Amino acid sequence: MQILREHLFKYPTYILGAVISAVASIGTMLYQPKLLQDILNAILKNNMDAIKTLSVWLIFLAVIGVISGIYNVYFAAKIAQNVTSDLRLRTYQKIQSFSFGNIEHFSSGSLVVRLINDMNQITNLLMSVFMQFLRMPLMFIGAFIMGVYTLPRLWWLEILMIILVILVSIFTFQKMGRLFGQVQIFMDKINTRAKETLQGMRVVKSFNQEANNSANFNQTSDELNKINLWIGYIFSASFPAFMLATYAAIALAIYLVGGSITSHPSDVAAISSYVTYLSLVMNAIIVIGMTATMVSRGLVSLERIKEVLDTKPDLTYVTDQDEDLKGSVEFKHVSFTYPDSKQETLHDISFKVAPGQKIGIVGKTGSGKSTLAQLIARLYDPSSGEIDLGGKNIKEVSQKTVTKTVSFVLQRAILFSGTINENLRQGKKTASQAEIEKAAQIAQAEEFISKYPDTFEHEVEERSANFSGGQKQRLSLARGVVGNPVVLILDDSTSALDAKSEKLVQEGLAKHLKGTTTFIIAEKLVSVKDADQILVLDDGHLSACGTHAELLKTSPVYQEIYQTQKAKERRSDLS
Amino acid sequence: MKKALQYFYKYLKPYWKGISLVIILTLAMTYFQVVAPVYMGNTVTDLTNILKGHGSMTTFYHDLWLMIVFYGLNVLTMGLSWTITSVFNAHANNNMRKNLFTKLQKMTIKYFDTHQDGKLLSLFTSDIDNIFNAMNNAVFEIIAQSALFIGTIVMMLLINVKLALITMASTPLVVIISIVIMKKASFYLDRQQEEIGALNGYINEQINGQKVIITNGLQKDSVQGFTVQNDKVRKTMFKGQFYSGLLYPLMTGLSLLNLAIVISAGALLIMTGSMSTAKGLGLLVMFVQYSQQYFQPLMQLTSIYSMMQLGLTGAKRLKEVEDQPEEDRVPNGQILTAVKKGVSLNDVHFSYNEKKEILHGVSLDVKAGKYVALVGPTGSGKTTVMNLLNRFYDVNQGSVTFDGIDVRQLTLTSLRQNVGIVLQDSVLFTGTIAENIKYGKPNATDEEMIDAAKQAQIHDFIMTLPDQYETLIGADNEIFSTGQKQLLSIARTILTNPAFLILDEATSNVDTVTEEKIQKAMDNVIMGRTSFVIAHRLKTILNADRIVVLKNGQVLEEGSHQALLAQKGFYYDLYTSQMAFE
Repeated sequence: MQILREHLFKYPTYILGAVISAVASIGTMLYQPKLLQDILNAILKNNMDAIKTLSVWLIFLAVIGVISGIYNVYFAAKIAQNVTSDLRLRTYQKIQSFSFGNIEHFSSGSLVVRLINDMNQITNLLMSVFMQFLRMPLMFIGAFIMGVYTLPRLWWLEILMIILVILVSIFTFQKMGRLFGQVQIFMDKINTRAKETLQGMRVVKSFNQEANNSANFNQTSDELNKINLWIGYIFSASFPAFMLATYAAIALAIYLVGGSITSHPSDVAAISSYVTYLSLVMNAIIVIGMTATMVSRGLVSLERIKEVLDTKPDLTYVTDQDEDLKGSVEFKHVSFTYPDSKQETLHDISFKVAPGQKIGIVGKTGSGKSTLAQLIARLYDPSSGEIDLGGKNIKEVSQKTVTKTVSFVLQRAILFSGTINENLRQGKKTASQAEIEKAAQIAQAEEFISKYPDTFEHEVEERSANFSGGQKQRLSLARGVVGNPVVLILDDSTSALDAKSEKLVQEGLAKHLKGTTTFIIAEKLVSVKDADQILVLDDGHLSACGTHAELLKTSPVYQEIYQTQKAKERRSDLS
Repeated sequence: MKKALQYFYKYLKPYWKGISLVIILTLAMTYFQVVAPVYMGNTVTDLTNILKGHGSMTTFYHDLWLMIVFYGLNVLTMGLSWTITSVFNAHANNNMRKNLFTKLQKMTIKYFDTHQDGKLLSLFTSDIDNIFNAMNNAVFEIIAQSALFIGTIVMMLLINVKLALITMASTPLVVIISIVIMKKASFYLDRQQEEIGALNGYINEQINGQKVIITNGLQKDSVQGFTVQNDKVRKTMFKGQFYSGLLYPLMTGLSLLNLAIVISAGALLIMTGSMSTAKGLGLLVMFVQYSQQYFQPLMQLTSIYSMMQLGLTGAKRLKEVEDQPEEDRVPNGQILTAVKKGVSLNDVHFSYNEKKEILHGVSLDVKAGKYVALVGPTGSGKTTVMNLLNRFYDVNQGSVTFDGIDVRQLTLTSLRQNVGIVLQDSVLFTGTIAENIKYGKPNATDEEMIDAAKQAQIHDFIMTLPDQYETLIGADNEIFSTGQKQLLSIARTILTNPAFLILDEATSNVDTVTEEKIQKAMDNVIMGRTSFVIAHRLKTILNADRIVVLKNGQVLEEGSHQALLAQKGFYYDLYTSQMAFE
């Protein structure tokens, strides 16, 4: 709520407008029955002039009611529009300040859901608060007071009805709330089943399990149906119960008025307006009950947005000074544990790399290769120990300097919709066209780009659907090498390339990026065989470090990997 | 529209008795509701008469009693018709959901390959739900409200033609206003939806590529792009929200205005007319009720309009799914019991869509008891071959035969019973490990299950888990690594003991050491079985009886490992570039 308040107060005029128009529109609704009563009295007294004045008032009031109703929506829409847009922007800006760790904590899927679905709920929340929720308590109190004022003798009748209606609605909405909770649980089960079946349709079919699967699904569906039936029963009983309470109150009121009509003759004119007030009171209670569920849904969404806004980016920068750093990298007793994990992923790692060296990183899945690479680009901070980039503690370098110095090519090649040029230029905004073309050459991407009539201006579609996996990887690689980065990290980023292209990429890198310190993470030893140093990771430990030849002699871990990739034949046997 | 109605007809037809009863009850309910105000008005007339000195309390109590009876019956019939409606709605909806699920499982793999999971899933999550809401709130509301509308008009005309006409005078205006607003609302909501769609597209792409944004330091640009889109949404959102929110308050306001006119005009009518005061007062009280009742259907129908739209669209979509062709199960075909001679592809041509042929005349032969491996670069058509062997797809030309019989002449059940598949992406289902291993053979004994797990080299790992075979596997608890999932799905296939085995090797996130473990499991399954392995790394298939190299949809080379190496062709290049040499 705190968050909404901050944004709401930026639009005081609209809020004031919404409140005033709501009060005005409720006021007209409440005053109309009173005027009706006056008219009926005037008829009883045969007072034509009074009827004429009252009629003008009646119509004037109704016109005000229409206009204030329109204005109420106008202001509510203005508030909803601005506050949600502002809040969405603020949330997005917040997410953009997040580190890898923050993103992974939420998962990108969940962030997308929050920005889209939850923001939607908040729009609905604001609309219903300013249109319904604000009006209904006013309506309830106003109608109650007017009812008492109309027939003061029967004040207790109104209270009796209110207690009855509230009791029924508490029972109903509580029961409903619980049942809707259960519906959600079964809906989730149904969704999981449907989703798994859709994703595993080949498995279902190849094991001939359609019938069993349907039987399982039907069972869940029947259970959901049972709850839906209960909801139906309660709903079918509750609304007539509200009506019954109101009708009973109306009948009782007429009965009591009739019984004492001779002592209170003017009450006869009050019946009609009293009935209207009773209906308004009941309506208000029901609407409050119904909007309450929507409001509570909106509040849940608000809580989820708040969670994002309250998250502190877990990387901070002490300086924003722009520097030119050399490509040396040093790890000093670096250990690392992921924020949401108990187990250490990297343990006491130390090594030193000189500018321009080529470093291979190998190890089993889960041994910490990618994590180590991410620390070099300061995507995470080590839990203990220190990392030096270009001889400076990486924590004391500005964000701009780090992104400028280190270029990281991710395992999964992600492109954005736009042109090829726009995507490649993300690697270095100021890159010249010659630099872009050179990068494409190194990444073996120029060959297919040049086949398009519009070459580098060729469109990248959404989800880069118009490129194959290999092409995407080449473009992602090209983006990484634009403008000769000082340090280049390739995280298994040539996996979708065929052996020949991969070799050409390696050669291109060696030829054109001589001064660049290159880290290569690879499954295939062939890719790192000629590296200056190979880091062998085993379960988070740096188990060995050396050249291919050295490691083959000294490192059992390296030998094990080597054995699984070794050809049966000797090279000499083949030629 | 026609499709949607057909769909509703199909699912509501079994409940025609209940529906007829509901219609009768609804009409009765409306009757009680429109007549009750007459007695309320009469009580006021009676009381006024008493005040004027020529009425009796007996008439008053009589009219009051009738009013109570009518309101009582109104509530009773309402409760009854709603209860019956909610019962058959729930059942009809349940049938829709069950049929949808069963229908989906009967459809061709092609359908799933060409439709996004998310879209199909939304049939369950939103369409069925929308239909349920529409049926609960809209369908019978329409009947009830139309009846109420007509009933109210009839009653008003019967009681007082002049006042009735005054009450209805504004109707054309009200209808025009609501149509204009509804049109505007749907126009601006569409535009708002378009912009929100564009914004969501942007958000989706950016957040999913957030790691690229971070590594390249593009955060500011990203916010800039977002602001542009967000401002577009901001602009269109006001009108969308305004017009869609306007209808209800405007109708309430107009109802109020109409009531004011009715009261004023009625009062003047009574004063100038020849009516007695008592009768006049009663009349006015009645028309106060009627004017409100008259507007209620107009307000209700506009508010359920969008709900109905959603329901109709949902029904149309579901009907379209129900109309989709099903897999041909060849119920009267030959029954395959074993693979005695072998499996072959004979000059197979195949394409997923007409534009691009994937396989151009592929012939392959797997002799009974032999192990054949298929290798080739991505996109060469390896996985397509698997799709044809299990009849996930049918060939365009040529044939796939088991023991010389075309697969299209075998019953689908017997074919799939004999063909075991281990897929590239190991799919496991929510449930226990035991349930997953026994998936293809639910009546297997625990001994059989453990035996299969041992052969698949996963038994030891399962035994280290606290609940062992009863450990729950779910979407969000990641107990298994990719490699272990593959082992588990191998165990699942071993248990069904298929005559012919197809193994599509996992490619992603399996390191070469884990791969070796998988290979051991594979060797256990392959032994003595007619097998077909689609390999992505060569190390695993060196012992194959025959290796077939597929490239660009054609068989390029085939033979044993040694023979292919000797050829110094494509296989040779592949092998020498992948493997490490001493």
